[in-house]
Amino acid sequence: MKYFEGLNYYEILKIPENSSFLEIKQAHRDAVSIYGEDSLATYSLFSTDEREIILKIIEAAFSTLMDGNKRAAYDKMLVDSGQSDTTFISNQSQKQSEPVFHPDKGSEDVPLAADATERIQTSEEKQLSDEILSKSSVSGNDLKKLREALGVEIHEIHSRTRISVSVLSAIEENRMEGLPPDVYLRNFLKLYAEVLQIDPLKIVDGYFKHISLIKHSD
Amino acid sequence: MTEIYPIGGGKGGVGKSFIAASLGTLIAQQGHNVVVIDLDLGASNLHTLLAMKNPKHGLNRYLDKTVKRLESEAVPTIIPNLFFISSLHCSMEVANLLHAHKLKIISAIQKLPFDYIFLDLGTGTNFNTLDFFLTSKEGILVGTPEPTSIENFFRFINAVYLRILKQTLKRAEFLSAVKDAVTEMSGPTAGTHDILKIVSKYHPDKVAHLKNKLREFEFKLILNQFRKNMDSSLGNQIETVCNRHFHSNFQFVGTIRYDEQIHDAVFSKTLYVQKYPHTQSSDDLKKIAEKITKNRKPIVLPKEIS
Repeated sequence: MKYFEGLNYYEILKIPENSSFLEIKQAHRDAVSIYGEDSLATYSLFSTDEREIILKIIEAAFSTLMDGNKRAAYDKMLVDSGQSDTTFISNQSQKQSEPVFHPDKGSEDVPLAADATERIQTSEEKQLSDEILSKSSVSGNDLKKLREALGVEIHEIHSRTRISVSVLSAIEENRMEGLPPDVYLRNFLKLYAEVLQIDPLKIVDGYFKHISLIKHSD
Repeated sequence: MTEIYPIGGGKGGVGKSFIAASLGTLIAQQGHNVVVIDLDLGASNLHTLLAMKNPKHGLNRYLDKTVKRLESEAVPTIIPNLFFISSLHCSMEVANLLHAHKLKIISAIQKLPFDYIFLDLGTGTNFNTLDFFLTSKEGILVGTPEPTSIENFFRFINAVYLRILKQTLKRAEFLSAVKDAVTEMSGPTAGTHDILKIVSKYHPDKVAHLKNKLREFEFKLILNQFRKNMDSSLGNQIETVCNRHFHSNFQFVGTIRYDEQIHDAVFSKTLYVQKYPHTQSSDDLKKIAEKITKNRKPIVLPKEIS
């Protein structure tokens, strides 16, 4: 039996080196579903001890890549030890703003061994995001539903965007009195959408449409 | 070039014979010359799945030297381009299939003049099954999405690995100390890892060679009897795990959906993919067949002038 000999953290999670926060999260979830105790695929392949070792390595990979500083140090180590070239570090920032959930992208021609981005697109969450993007107005509840489906906690959005949790909650609960002025709100929604890798333009427009509807109904 | 695909997978009832018959049919229908060989010695029933009557002879006539060449025993089926070799009349010899006979069968199979050869193997991991599986460097593993079947799936890969390693270690260049150690630790608990460990102790330079031996093999994985509510990512998960934790190359080629009519077809002794070509299960099988032939066009040779 081989473990993860010769594989780096990115390879262990089966993600490209420029993966976004969300992709890492998804990949971690996939890895745990493969190697977890209840996994049909592996329950008979590993002993309890082996499984423990494997899960520890996966957790180490996950916690390192989820932490900006630790990840930077790890990436530097990969580059310094010649396991990777420098180009990917510069790619990382570009990747953040690239929406995965895009209204006109189909999922039919995704190959079997889908990479992280494609994996997200083909998942059940894709359906939910399509549903949200197809609406003309997007409520805070829609955003919350998508965030939860993606397994992202509200404090994680906070730690990545520096938007306060109370404002994030106000956005998700459509609480008018808790929302910042429009110019800030616009920017916050954009950041929120970027973390969830859903088309920011659509979200901003949809959300503003939604709150204007609420205002008019008052 | 001939491609030989032994079909194994450990557990009984997962549909190895059904898949042999179906893939044989579909690939023959693509225009390739195909033969399916029943090597489930003692429990032959592939002919039934091919909608054929009990064959009168087969491998036995090659082993008792009634015929000189194995291809003389390849009989046509109801599908054009699809041929069949039976082992029905070998069942008497199964208890002690002579090693020499086994080698004779294997080398005759490797010389058969067909585009695709499918070997329908018996259940379990006995030496005959494993050796027939090792007729080729490529094999198909069939399982169902059930814990017991997947367990046997891995057990089968392990058994194949041990067989390869032990065969290699028999060779003269290995110290008898290694051979003894490996023989001693034989048993259900011995694993590839343990053997490689022993070898690295006595022959550190040979470990890479052994790993390369294992790396030469390519396995295609099929999940049969897939039901609606099952997790569709299972096949890909198993592929990922196998590629990571075993030494060879594994490719998941597809699931085959469960269909009640498959049982009906078997009961009425008809060939399912021919009788029901447009069901979801037949569609699944077609996709798998296309992956195996990679949509390669059959080579049409100019007819010989007689």
